[in-house]
Amino acid sequence: MLRIRRFEEQCIQLAESKQFSGHYHVYIGQEATAVSVCNALGPEDFVFSTWRNHGHLLARGAAPDRMMAEIFGKATGYAGGKSGTLHMAVGELGVPATSALVGGNLPLATGAALACKRRGSGVSVCFHGDAALEEGAFYEAMILAAVWKVPALFVCENNSIPPAQRKRGQFTSSTLPAAQLADVPQSLQIRTEIVDGADADQLAESFERLVGEVRRGGGPRFVEVRCTRWPGSFPLWPELPDGPWQIAWAFDGKPDRADLALWLEQSDPLTLYVRKLVSAGAVTRSQLAAMDARAKEEMAGAARYAIESPFPTPDQAYRHVWAEQ
Amino acid sequence: MSAIATELKNETLVGFYEQLWRIRLFEEQVQRLAARGEVPGFPHLSTGQEAVAVGVCALLNEDDYLFSGHRAHGHVLAKGSDPYAVFAEIIGRQDGVCRGRGGSMHLVDVAHGVLGATGVVAGNVSIAAGAAWAAQVRGESRLAVVFFGDGATGAGVFHETLNLASLWRLPLLLVCENNGMAEFTGREEHSNVAKVSAFAAPYGIPTQTIDGNDVLAVYEAAREAIESIRGSGGPWLLECMTYRMAGHYVGDAQHYRSKEELAAMKEKDPIDRLRRDLVKRGIPENALAAVAARVKAELDTVVDRARRAPHPDPRTVLEDVYSAWN
Amino acid sequence: MKITFAEGIARAIHESLAADPRVVLIGGGIMGLNTGARALLEPVLRDFASRIMVTPISELGLAGAGVGAALAGDRPLVDLSTGSFVFQAFAQVVNEAANIHYMTGGQTSVPVTFYSLAGRRGGGAAQHSHATQAMLGQVPGLQVLTPGGAEDAYGLLKWALLESRNPSVFLSHPLLLGETAEWTAHDAFLPVGKARIRREGRGVSLIASSIMVPRALAAAETLQREHGVSAEVVDLRTIIPLDRDTVLQSVARTGRAVIADECHHSYGVAAEIAATLAEKGFASLKAPVRRVTMPDVPIPFSAPLEAEITVTAEKIVAGALAAVRAA
Repeated sequence: MLRIRRFEEQCIQLAESKQFSGHYHVYIGQEATAVSVCNALGPEDFVFSTWRNHGHLLARGAAPDRMMAEIFGKATGYAGGKSGTLHMAVGELGVPATSALVGGNLPLATGAALACKRRGSGVSVCFHGDAALEEGAFYEAMILAAVWKVPALFVCENNSIPPAQRKRGQFTSSTLPAAQLADVPQSLQIRTEIVDGADADQLAESFERLVGEVRRGGGPRFVEVRCTRWPGSFPLWPELPDGPWQIAWAFDGKPDRADLALWLEQSDPLTLYVRKLVSAGAVTRSQLAAMDARAKEEMAGAARYAIESPFPTPDQAYRHVWAEQ
Repeated sequence: MSAIATELKNETLVGFYEQLWRIRLFEEQVQRLAARGEVPGFPHLSTGQEAVAVGVCALLNEDDYLFSGHRAHGHVLAKGSDPYAVFAEIIGRQDGVCRGRGGSMHLVDVAHGVLGATGVVAGNVSIAAGAAWAAQVRGESRLAVVFFGDGATGAGVFHETLNLASLWRLPLLLVCENNGMAEFTGREEHSNVAKVSAFAAPYGIPTQTIDGNDVLAVYEAAREAIESIRGSGGPWLLECMTYRMAGHYVGDAQHYRSKEELAAMKEKDPIDRLRRDLVKRGIPENALAAVAARVKAELDTVVDRARRAPHPDPRTVLEDVYSAWN
Repeated sequence: MKITFAEGIARAIHESLAADPRVVLIGGGIMGLNTGARALLEPVLRDFASRIMVTPISELGLAGAGVGAALAGDRPLVDLSTGSFVFQAFAQVVNEAANIHYMTGGQTSVPVTFYSLAGRRGGGAAQHSHATQAMLGQVPGLQVLTPGGAEDAYGLLKWALLESRNPSVFLSHPLLLGETAEWTAHDAFLPVGKARIRREGRGVSLIASSIMVPRALAAAETLQREHGVSAEVVDLRTIIPLDRDTVLQSVARTGRAVIADECHHSYGVAAEIAATLAEKGFASLKAPVRRVTMPDVPIPFSAPLEAEITVTAEKIVAGALAAVRAA
């Protein structure tokens, strides 16, 4: 979780200093989900992500330097600069394609799950957001997954307004009139669960169990992970309110901004988890600090790698239209 | 006998009976001509599903919008379109509702509120929502009805439409003719969800699942839905369980159905059901037979006239690609 | 032996399922409303029932599932049914399948075959009659296969299912299903991306694909018999990859080009060939290039209207005569 946090902060700082161009999306505040899910997966499994893919890729074992290089559009990036952040995929780690279209990856995940079922191994995980339920592709992919009874796990990271903060009569989102998201896949005869995106332990336990159920042939599952959006993601371009996250904020310190302080207290899986670990005696604050130093160094190294890597030569634009026969 | 039957006057019920026969005999004529090679393409017949069209359309005003799919003949006739113009369209004549350009699967009759039938499964569901929305924005009291089959509920756009209709509280009546078949595939083979009304539940859309072969049950449910739509607003979904007596399209030998199945479906024939109800009410059999005979004669004339009607002039083929630009 | 186009397809499917366990069918209609042709698939249904997925009407979901299964190592055939229904699946066919190899920088590939029965079938009206090859020809990363004869239906489909490493749209045609051709069982796959000269000639090149091939051949016969004109018929076989060289070489010999195409006149396959001839074959041309195409109208239902716009052998003959008599 810490590595993801520091990677994303690097992205924001590099973008703000104009080291790379183009819109991008960060996974701050949702780290526990990627980590919990990917910890339960093996090399024969598939992961499908969206434009908000950095956390999923890192959790799946992708190298931060090659990811950063891809975000910069450099030749050393995983896709040689062809995907950038939006479509970043790592075939050799079981992330074969990433769609930047809302709802674009759901049918892909159903199809990969079909292939897994046919060969008798592997599960297919689809990370998507709440907005995907507004797309027809969601229904088609879920209906197929259910009818074909394939090993697909749909992880819906719902970062829309939480129930407690909604106005009277306001729906889950301004664009879906269901009382709760999980009602929708349930009506398609798919088993659903709702988990708290801020509770790393609950997530780990839930996904360990769910991946197992799916792997053993229990058919598809839909999990709504309720996250509260990190305040830095509300502006059109991500910002670091009060700078990078500080370990001290989990203990004796807090940030200046009240909305951020509240979010950390109630919704940040990282803050809540480190506090829990330390108070349980599982790790000391100085061990934490050492871990953090390593993470920061690693991600600073990734930034340097990206900055120093060359761009692809123009002739590369014509390559990879076709897979070689 | 149902409560609704006691409310309605004899002449209303006999009117339903006549309308059911009109659709049934119309479709028989289409089938007859298709077997002789006089109908281009592959028409899809409403035989056996007439009660849904009649029961729902009896409650619609002329200016309510109607949308349908590839199996639209019954809906269009029930809405009030002229059988001659519809038949002429099906056999590609100049006098057809679309001047021969659309055919069986693309019937449009704006004067009677029939804004479109489409040949693409689920193609009209979101369009109907749009028409309903336009009526709402303009503050009109009209509603839009869209007829579709259970096969259409596999399409993503169907679910997108449920979402929009509920969110915007559209004056939209969704009528699903659940005949258990999507082309040649039975529902249980391609879906885990037996009843289509289950899809509407998460969006809070009121639904009813009813016997679509009982015209009075259809009428009663449609009345509740339409009163609600016109009154407090918001969409409704009616699921009418019915049976497709004539195959997916003309020429479909229905090898995928057993003899027993085909025999059992005759039991459910909506025309026979209403006839039994009417006889119980004391309407003489011979009066009912006279209704059927009159409709038959009417349609014989219609078909004869349509067959003698001119084809469109090929030189007009390039017209009407675009609405006039100025 | 002689086989029909439909038999070629059925054989290709059966042999591919037998040869490679990764081949799977998502949807198994294939022959549309042609009951005779449907019977040819009985061996497939009998021998490989577990590898044929029964499908709801969900073209978008099915197309995407095909892409996903291909990414995970399978080699699916996705039956999108009537050609016009590819529009329901467009996001997955055009914006996912075709892009993935490129936008991942070559890391993964998508060996999926989308099958459809595309083109004017008679009475199909506006929504069931699209010839989609020109629209799909605009998609880099997508192969567009348009066999014009039974032996190529077999060869190209088998190649797509067993050999191709890229996504393909295989455009079958409802009016070609009964066409026959000589065929022998063979293991070597025909060269893909190579057009075929179906009839040699000296006076004019008739360039055709799909349903236009038998009509161009009929036109060539009429041209020879009734007008003494020797016409060469070039069967493109595939829209992507497009064999421009064979077309240019043919026109270098004949000096006159008539392109028959079921797509609409504007922005169609014929337009691409004409542009190629203008750019690279200008010196060969003794007369302007002629296109014999469907006009820019939605397909009307009524039989005489549809007949008016259909590209027939007679219209190809007229186009050829105009080319021959031009300066």
